[in-house]
Amino acid sequence: MTDTRTPPARAERPEAPPAKHAPRPSARDRGTRLLATLFLAPTILGIVVFTVVPIVGSVVLSLFHWNVIDSPRFAGGSNYGAVFGDETVLVSFRNTLVFMVLAVALQLLVALALALTLTGRMPGWLRSVFRSAFFFPLVLSAASISVVMKYLFNQDFGVINWLLGFVGIAPVPWLTSENAAMATVVLVYVWQQFGFSFLLFVGGLNNIPKEIHEAAALDGATGLRKHLSVTLPLLSPTLLVASVVGIINALQVFEQPYVLTNGGPGDSTRTVVMVIYETAFEQLRFGEASAVGVLLFVLIMAVTALQFRLSRRFVHYQ
Amino acid sequence: MTDSHLTRRRLLRYGAYGAGAAALGGTAASWERLTGADIPGRDDGSLVVATLGPAYGPEAIRTLREGFRELHPDIKLQINAVQAVDWSDFFAKILTQVAAGTAPDLVYVATEGVQLFAQRLGVALDKWVKRDAAELKEYFADVHPSLVESMMYEGSLFQLPVEFNAADMYLNRQVLRRAGAQYPPADWTRDDFTSLLRDMKQASGSRFTPYFWTNRLWGGVVPWLFANGTNLLAEAKAPGGEWLWDSFYPAGQRAGRGGGFRWTTPQATHDRVEEVYDYLASLVRDGLCTRPEGGNGQNLIGVFSTGRVGVTPAGGFWAGGLHLAGMERDGFDVQYFPRWRTQRMQYGAAGYALLRTSKRQEEAWEFIKYAARKDTLTRLFTTNQTTPARRSMLTAGRYEETGPAHWRVFYDTLDRFPGTGPIPAPPQVAEVEQLLLKHTGTALASSRSVRPALRRLQGDLEKAMERDA
Repeated sequence: MTDTRTPPARAERPEAPPAKHAPRPSARDRGTRLLATLFLAPTILGIVVFTVVPIVGSVVLSLFHWNVIDSPRFAGGSNYGAVFGDETVLVSFRNTLVFMVLAVALQLLVALALALTLTGRMPGWLRSVFRSAFFFPLVLSAASISVVMKYLFNQDFGVINWLLGFVGIAPVPWLTSENAAMATVVLVYVWQQFGFSFLLFVGGLNNIPKEIHEAAALDGATGLRKHLSVTLPLLSPTLLVASVVGIINALQVFEQPYVLTNGGPGDSTRTVVMVIYETAFEQLRFGEASAVGVLLFVLIMAVTALQFRLSRRFVHYQ
Repeated sequence: MTDSHLTRRRLLRYGAYGAGAAALGGTAASWERLTGADIPGRDDGSLVVATLGPAYGPEAIRTLREGFRELHPDIKLQINAVQAVDWSDFFAKILTQVAAGTAPDLVYVATEGVQLFAQRLGVALDKWVKRDAAELKEYFADVHPSLVESMMYEGSLFQLPVEFNAADMYLNRQVLRRAGAQYPPADWTRDDFTSLLRDMKQASGSRFTPYFWTNRLWGGVVPWLFANGTNLLAEAKAPGGEWLWDSFYPAGQRAGRGGGFRWTTPQATHDRVEEVYDYLASLVRDGLCTRPEGGNGQNLIGVFSTGRVGVTPAGGFWAGGLHLAGMERDGFDVQYFPRWRTQRMQYGAAGYALLRTSKRQEEAWEFIKYAARKDTLTRLFTTNQTTPARRSMLTAGRYEETGPAHWRVFYDTLDRFPGTGPIPAPPQVAEVEQLLLKHTGTALASSRSVRPALRRLQGDLEKAMERDA
């Protein structure tokens, strides 16, 4: 008796006879390949020049002491030793990870909630207004937004504390307390960034066939149950993309903490990219800065790889 | 079966593709575009001068260029105004140009960068100053020796100062009246200052902060350290410099001068430094001053001119700033920083540094002399955006329109307190400033956090000073 659950053995597959020569591509195929290569060439060239070369350059530079003014001196791994022994660098990695968790979670939550709200019953023109309003901050410069927010959140003269004063709330040290500063930076960042995830979610929600929702409704699924059992699993590929992009961006955060708090109070909002900038361009230790950059690159690669590995379990493709 | 021969139609199509690509490539190649040679002043025989953008607007640059052309029509001049938010940002951009191999010939450098440039990039001006001593006598007679000394490094002179700003105390007249207070006397003390802040606070309510300060190297904690007779880094003088003092300054003025300042040993845990931080922490605790992270120069003019701040330390540059912001000349005034143990004050100065990589050093020296001339500075500093380094330029007429009434305070900070000196700016200044800002924020979180933060500041400064700049 044959066990039908057993996968077909390799021997059962018909084997193609080994070909002496691969079939020669036709002229049309060659032409298509040539065209494809030509179309891809600018992008590939851009990636090589602006991504691959700087990455390799950073790795090489991380093995040297260089202050811009004098010639580079080979340092071996001493820059990495210095980086691991530098408390500020370690704190900046911790801050960046904390920031990433808070910012990405909040960003996805807000974007998803608003996308779900907007895909419900609503006049078309109002939906367009909201979509534009939510996306608008994304096209503004992060530095400009941060300058304005710094005024708004100023403890002594800011509009937010002035308004809170009307309801009897004492001035909040939004940017001047170690506990509040990180939360404020996260809020400003999420306010600007959630529009991107929001657009992805709106697109993802529109791609879910109505029949599936109707079938779920016939089965008695409504409200939260419908979203948890139907919408979220079908939206999981979009969630994966939004979270991967969100995490990569959050790990490279610079403008908001630099302008809002300059990394303070103390080191409480100092991020890895801030440390790279300060070490390189203010303290002229380009080798150490490159070493920190290489470590950040490895961290981003590791987190992204972990996400894709986990996605095999949690992401459902239709 | 596939036909491997090209049909006529396909041949024509690929021919059209090829012709299109060739036309596109040809157009792109013939298009007028930027190349490395288009970087201003690069390889075109110009003398390239880099200035701080916000300090030198288009009008000032035109004035500088045209005046120089009249004097030296044979020297081609290119002035690059580098946009930067502060001196630290400016240096970062200049160093990027150095790294890219497009270093300018001259760079406008403030006290913060004098020693870094002198040690690593600068050319000493000694030989030219000695050669043109007769021409320069008038300049040195007009400039306080402390400003000149601040531009010396290990016995050599690297810049001729053209401007400076000491941290004096600006007072809002409207707030003074509201508090029933008088313009303070020149010898007012720290306790007088505290009483004034309390009176202002009492008269102005909860939406008012009497003292506003910015957490930075110039004008932050450092003026208080100077007033308390101490400094962040132990201050000493390098030997040498007699060649200059003996040639240009009378005995009374050259006494105690040396070959430039040396800042080597951190002393953040000294008693007097702790006293300063305790005092500032008490002001923050009592709501008499802003927290260090809260203050920055961007919003200062607005809150001061509208009477939401009573007092703030600033230099002569603020007279023009307040005037431009619409403040009447009698709406504010200025007084010396209050006395603690001393009334010695800190300042920052600026001038042009000549870079070693310059191939036009003689022309560059001509520009340095031109930029320090009185007629040049008079045409340049028309809006009181700074304090001229030349004493003779501070006149009643200059401040008639902008104020303040006690404009003499600006230069008298040097003349009346001759020990007044530059902010501590060793070659490792970038790291020193960053550590100072970071730990000051932590230290002033509460009165209990002062000592732990200063211990960490001391440890970090020691490490920074051991490092090669």
